Amino acid sequence: MEYAVETFDLTKIFENKEKGVKRYIKAVDHVNIKVKTGEFFGLLGPNGAGKTTLIKILCTIILPTEGSAKVNGYDIIKEPHKVRSSFGWFHGETGGRSLYWRLNAEDNLRFYAYLQNVPRDIAEKRIDALLEFFELTEDRKKLVKDYSTGMKVKVMLARSLLHNPPILFMDEPTIGLDTISAVETRRLLRALNIELGKTIIFTSHNMFEVEQLCERVAIMKDGKIIVDAPPSALRDMLRDIHAVEVEIREANNLQEVIKSLGGLPIVKQIMEVKNDPYNVVIRLQVEDEYDAIPFIASKLRAMNAKVLAVRRSEPTLEDIFVKLTRKETA
Amino acid sequence: MDIDKIVDVISEEVPRRKSPVHRIVLSFIVRDLKVWWTYKFWLTLDIAGIILFVVTYYLFSLITTSQQIQEAGYMIGGYFTFALIGIAFQQYVHFAVQSINESIRDEQWNGTMETILSTATDFKIFLLGEVCFSFIVSSALLLMSLFVGVMLGAKVYVTPASILSVIVLTILLIASHMDIGILSTGVIMKIKQGNPVTWAFSWLSQLVSGVFYPLRLLPWFLEWIGRIFPLTYSLDGIRLCLQSGKDLTSPEILSNVISLLIFIIIATPISIYIFKKGYDAARRDGSLGQY
Amino acid sequence: MKVEDLVALFKEDMPRISSNIVHVWAVFWANFKIFLSYRTWVITETISTVASIAMYSFMGLQVDARRITLAGYGEVGWLSFALVGVATANYLWMCISRLSHSLQHEIREGTLEQIIASLIDMKSYIIGQSLRGFMVSGYFMLGVMIIGIAVLNVPLVINLNTVFSFIVIILLMVLSYAGISIMASGLVLVYKKGDPLTFLFASITEFLGGVLFPLKYLEAYPALWAMAWLMPYTYALDASRKILLNGATLFSSEVLKNAAILIVYAIVFIPMGLKVFRWGVNRIRYEGTVATY
Repeated sequence: MEYAVETFDLTKIFENKEKGVKRYIKAVDHVNIKVKTGEFFGLLGPNGAGKTTLIKILCTIILPTEGSAKVNGYDIIKEPHKVRSSFGWFHGETGGRSLYWRLNAEDNLRFYAYLQNVPRDIAEKRIDALLEFFELTEDRKKLVKDYSTGMKVKVMLARSLLHNPPILFMDEPTIGLDTISAVETRRLLRALNIELGKTIIFTSHNMFEVEQLCERVAIMKDGKIIVDAPPSALRDMLRDIHAVEVEIREANNLQEVIKSLGGLPIVKQIMEVKNDPYNVVIRLQVEDEYDAIPFIASKLRAMNAKVLAVRRSEPTLEDIFVKLTRKETA
Repeated sequence: MDIDKIVDVISEEVPRRKSPVHRIVLSFIVRDLKVWWTYKFWLTLDIAGIILFVVTYYLFSLITTSQQIQEAGYMIGGYFTFALIGIAFQQYVHFAVQSINESIRDEQWNGTMETILSTATDFKIFLLGEVCFSFIVSSALLLMSLFVGVMLGAKVYVTPASILSVIVLTILLIASHMDIGILSTGVIMKIKQGNPVTWAFSWLSQLVSGVFYPLRLLPWFLEWIGRIFPLTYSLDGIRLCLQSGKDLTSPEILSNVISLLIFIIIATPISIYIFKKGYDAARRDGSLGQY
Repeated sequence: MKVEDLVALFKEDMPRISSNIVHVWAVFWANFKIFLSYRTWVITETISTVASIAMYSFMGLQVDARRITLAGYGEVGWLSFALVGVATANYLWMCISRLSHSLQHEIREGTLEQIIASLIDMKSYIIGQSLRGFMVSGYFMLGVMIIGIAVLNVPLVINLNTVFSFIVIILLMVLSYAGISIMASGLVLVYKKGDPLTFLFASITEFLGGVLFPLKYLEAYPALWAMAWLMPYTYALDASRKILLNGATLFSSEVLKNAAILIVYAIVFIPMGLKVFRWGVNRIRYEGTVATY
């Protein structure tokens, strides 16, 4: 089989009734992706772009409005049962929900292993190994409700691997994990991909992670795939983005400051304003940070703002999303 | 991000004034009514449940004798009237106490508790708002069940003096059970699960307060426990008024009134203290939002 | 454990064989364990059961026992009459509210998504949950019976025949309500709000089924009388009383007749319930609200 996942004009429109008025939200909009068997595929996008909905459709949790898809060669609408035996699904957004909090870790895993038809002795072996790998052996008898978020995430990760599926849907798998565990998890996913040829569909907010792991990356925005490229292309895109961060202390005339910064010819766009009680951080996209910083600093001084810092800022994934959307609308 | 939008959001200033108490209480009631209305199906079910309950005890009364009731000093109406008063008032307080707990628990569930407590509303007013609505609804249900009972043939003395006495006793009943509701809410906030106080209270009062049978049928130790519960005194007083035509001038009623007042005087400071403790503990643990 | 070891372990794979029995067992076992973790609930519920029995025994002091005899239940007294009623009504209520209750929980906790995405058939899930319901409510019923017989000297006819017949009747009673319970759960999936249907059914059952008084007294109200005999519970209670109070068995014609009626209810309603439930599951999959409460 050439493709592990194939979608054909896959579309999902949610109906939302608010105060009697029906609203339609296109969560997934005619998506066509093809993920080769054995590929490590990254799916990126800002919050609400439709990544999780897309994955849930592929997991047969959500039925599409239009279009169809094949997972492991099986049709997600006509053969949901066969699809379900083909994938492991991790859903990081739930933050430790989706486990039975009143069972301990091993019982949670055992329950799921039985539902996935894993033979008993193999299940026990894998549960032991996975708990050890995720350093939960000592706490395996403790009820999940007493776990930290990170521990819950680990149990969920173990659960998605238990039945050794050929395809893994990893929806933000490192969310809530500490740095070391995140590194180990990435190593494991990579090994599963290379050694066992598993197809991995991976979503993340972490640029570095995506670059390190994925062979191919698609960016989703408003339900559509707007970019489908190798991660090196993303890096090139980032190289084109220049950002400056301004930190000021309790500005009374904040709106004027923002307005005048936005009006500077060297500033392309205001990307983000974080307003804490004691300091305000403004992120600006500029043509060239070295040209821009002195300009911005002197403008701020002219406005009597209490400046804490004006510095170059590493471009992030969000910057790419902003940039790509701007291109779309332009 | 649009510059104008950011400017709009930041520059929006809300004047802060202290709202008068009745406005705050009213806004709680209006909000609860709205929530209730979206669940109006449940209201219908509550009503249906109470009617069914009354009808059941009417049918049950057909196989009872009135002997024990009359020996206990409740002269007219027989077992059905006796049980009707017991059920109606017991449900009344149970429902009210439970809705105090539930509205606060719901708010913990939904995370709206933190919002309400951070809007600088004094917690006594907060409680008053929560409580008012519950009592309005449960009073309506009380009157309805009494009405259904009378339709089914319950006999009661209706004179200005007896009705006035019943109203006084009911107010004391409400006041004493508000204490219990407040106390149990404090406990819930602290332990965050189950509702042991309301639960124990509800069962014990059903068992020992003479809801379904006169207290004298109980063995001495249960009768003795029954004397701790304010429901016991209220039921006895209300039944003497409605079934035997007594009023506030008779010594039996007066002794019930005094017992209830003593309960309130002792229980109010204790329950407010426990509520405050629970509330502070929840704030300290930062656990208002979780349940 | 290193990454390499884990990968090596996953290299050995065995075919996965689907077994509904394993699925049913897994659901039963997991939910039974969850039940045991609610220790406070078990204790409080046990105490309330004991308290309610005490209450009924005091209530019984006001009953004119002749009227029970006149209603055709022999000279057994009111308490034994009521005890059978209360025990069966509680059992029924606990059993049929179980499924919708668990589902509400699974939606709220987000575990339903995982269950749907797994290989379990919804029928196995329902059976597993129901088994757990049987066990838990059985515990309470047994408690009521034991206290009744040992402490209150209630004269129930207990022998191998009656116990066996009683168990069969209880099973049939639950099956006769299973359809409605499954249907209600299907609606809970979609509408996410409580479970009014089961609640309504249970309360009407308790009030009109003749738990506290002989049904004879309903005859004066034809509408209520008809309604009472529309409910399978009435037949189950009638049969249970004939068995435990009068020593009838499954093979006595009156009990057999009631059992047959219960079976008819089960045959008619269970397929309907399953249909509604399947509709509910697909509906929330379409709406994308499997984990939205």
